[in-house]
Amino acid sequence: MKFKGLSSIAIAAVSTLLLGSCGADPDSAGYEYMPDMYRSAAIEPYVDYGEIRGREDKDAKMKISAKVPPFGTIPYYGTDEQEVMLMLPYHRKGHISMKESHGLYGFDLVSTNEYELAAGDKNPYTLTADNMDAIFAKGKSLYTANCAHCHGEKGDGNGPMMTNETYVGVPDYANLKNLGDGQIFYSIYYGKGFMGAHASILDKKEIWTLVHYIRKFQDQEYGKPGAGANLGVEGAVAADTTSNQ
Amino acid sequence: MGYNNSTKFAFVKKCFFDSGLTVFYMKISSSQMFRNLSKWYLSALMLLFLAGTFNSQAQGEGLFKAKCATCHQVFKDGTGPKLYEVRQKWADGGAAEGSIYQWVKNFEAAAAADPYAATVVAWSGTNMNKFPELSDDDITAIFDWVDSQVDGPKDGGGDVATVEGAVEEESSMGWVWMLLGVMFVVIILAVGGVRRQLKAATVEADGGEYNDDMSYMDEIKQWAWDNRKKTVVGIVIIVLALIVTLFLSLYTIGTVEDYQPSQPIEFPHSVHAGINGIDCKYCHNSVTKSKSAGLPTVNVCMNCHKQVSGSTPEQQAQINKIYEAAGWNPEGAGKYTGETKEIVWNKVHVLPDHVYFNHSQHVEVGGIDCKQCHGDMTKMVGTAKVQPVSELNKIEGNIQLTKTTLTMGWCIECHSEKEISQGPLDSKKDGYYDEIHRRLMNNDKSLYGEYLEDGKVTVKELGGWECAKCHY
Repeated sequence: MKFKGLSSIAIAAVSTLLLGSCGADPDSAGYEYMPDMYRSAAIEPYVDYGEIRGREDKDAKMKISAKVPPFGTIPYYGTDEQEVMLMLPYHRKGHISMKESHGLYGFDLVSTNEYELAAGDKNPYTLTADNMDAIFAKGKSLYTANCAHCHGEKGDGNGPMMTNETYVGVPDYANLKNLGDGQIFYSIYYGKGFMGAHASILDKKEIWTLVHYIRKFQDQEYGKPGAGANLGVEGAVAADTTSNQ
Repeated sequence: MGYNNSTKFAFVKKCFFDSGLTVFYMKISSSQMFRNLSKWYLSALMLLFLAGTFNSQAQGEGLFKAKCATCHQVFKDGTGPKLYEVRQKWADGGAAEGSIYQWVKNFEAAAAADPYAATVVAWSGTNMNKFPELSDDDITAIFDWVDSQVDGPKDGGGDVATVEGAVEEESSMGWVWMLLGVMFVVIILAVGGVRRQLKAATVEADGGEYNDDMSYMDEIKQWAWDNRKKTVVGIVIIVLALIVTLFLSLYTIGTVEDYQPSQPIEFPHSVHAGINGIDCKYCHNSVTKSKSAGLPTVNVCMNCHKQVSGSTPEQQAQINKIYEAAGWNPEGAGKYTGETKEIVWNKVHVLPDHVYFNHSQHVEVGGIDCKQCHGDMTKMVGTAKVQPVSELNKIEGNIQLTKTTLTMGWCIECHSEKEISQGPLDSKKDGYYDEIHRRLMNNDKSLYGEYLEDGKVTVKELGGWECAKCHY
């Protein structure tokens, strides 16, 4: 009898332990009614390309969830000629040193200093009285999403990342008045100094929109006829920084 | 965190300086001043001197931030080498005197004149800018300011440790419950054993014979037969409870509230979106253009993390995973090696394939804020999770919903509540839905009036409840 009591205690203890260890897997979203309706047969973003419709690709398993379009693919941007011209691949190439400094592997790079040549590039997304408000509004939303955390709401280089000293070295746009439109574009596209390349997250039209918006920080009158003459003048003396302190 | 510290520090510095000034003013205004002219003169001199050093400090800081900081940091190599005590470094390296000043103005000229400066050119592939506009005094002010800085752990914020603590606590609580369960079972069995032994003892004391072969099962059967009515009622109650539980658990199939899978990197949203004020759309940048909101590619992480490498060992361990994935070698100036690795994130918000959901439609066209569905990520300490609807309802400005997050009821509940856009009569607006307002007004006034009975045109009224909108 004694033995019986002991063994039942042991069984109860072991089964309690087993049940207790049956915690839900935190990485499992739980049960599904019909998994074959839940899982896409077609290719969706953020699925594992290692297995599509039962076919396994060992090289891609747990590696690829998004693919680059085939080489030479040109996105369709409609039939508006100006728009299409605007979206054609950027003609300036990054500097060869940007491979190591900005990780531009897979880019066509050159050893000539395209950044200086870019000073002559004019903004092809022309401001007119009609589209000006729309461009600045779009520029503002793009700027808030992509630039303001470092460059600051007012473009003075005092974004939250700077004021809490997480990041250092963001310039005030007021000191960069002598940059050409094309140089601003080039810096956003390929990166400059600590700033990384933004070609992967902004398309060309968006970057040119941002160039307009940044110009507005440098000259309140930018966009109005006759204004902006002091911008993009190579060799122009940058504003005295000490007076801004 | 870092923000608080720095402002506090700045505040203290300011107070200190201001009170210093007040002391001097008081001295000047006292009548002693005329009797003790020499003392007053000394004080004035000191004041001038103090103001002078402060000015040059401020000038150095301003110049550093405006001219140097895009490439140089004080204590860390970046695009350019660190500048802390760089004059000493050059002197130790055997540079000619004044060569570093020439370098700042025109590095090529300095490199041609001084062999040490020539070796500095090879420090990195990127050439330094030329600063002919800086005077020697300016450069001295910059170096003085740089050398006066104090290195210390700068807290970029991060509650990674707290998250780990919470998780650990939870799992240890699980053990406590299990132990309690085991103890409970042991006690019940022990009491049962004692009861049996007592029963056997009483039976034996009465002179009878206790049937020791009777197992627990036999005893239970015997008891159930003796108390038939109670047993039947009990069984009915248990069966009913089981059925209810079964139904309730069937309702939880396919609902994922509170789902928070583990991630390869313990990404603190509260630090990125909260403290550092980075817009959701910067990292999840395809949200305005595509069906999927998108995870940032590693190059987007590196836009900041090239410089931000973490201040605590825990943070550094997490950020090193990004470096490994990006193929970034942070030593010296740092460089990309081109050997990348993949980061395998766990998908959090998974919709079944038979549902079509498009982020750009909701965010760009509908103008819905991310927090309506994803909660306030600026306060989310850890990685993403499916926020329960009760949490979402607490957020100011959110449409109040009742159904479980990410179920169809939840979607269509919002579709019947959400107004497509305001200001139907504002002809200046040219958004997608403003055009719909305009067409409704021009083409079918009675229908438009019907829609506007509750004061708004909802998504539902434009077909937001039609099956084929989302299922096809």
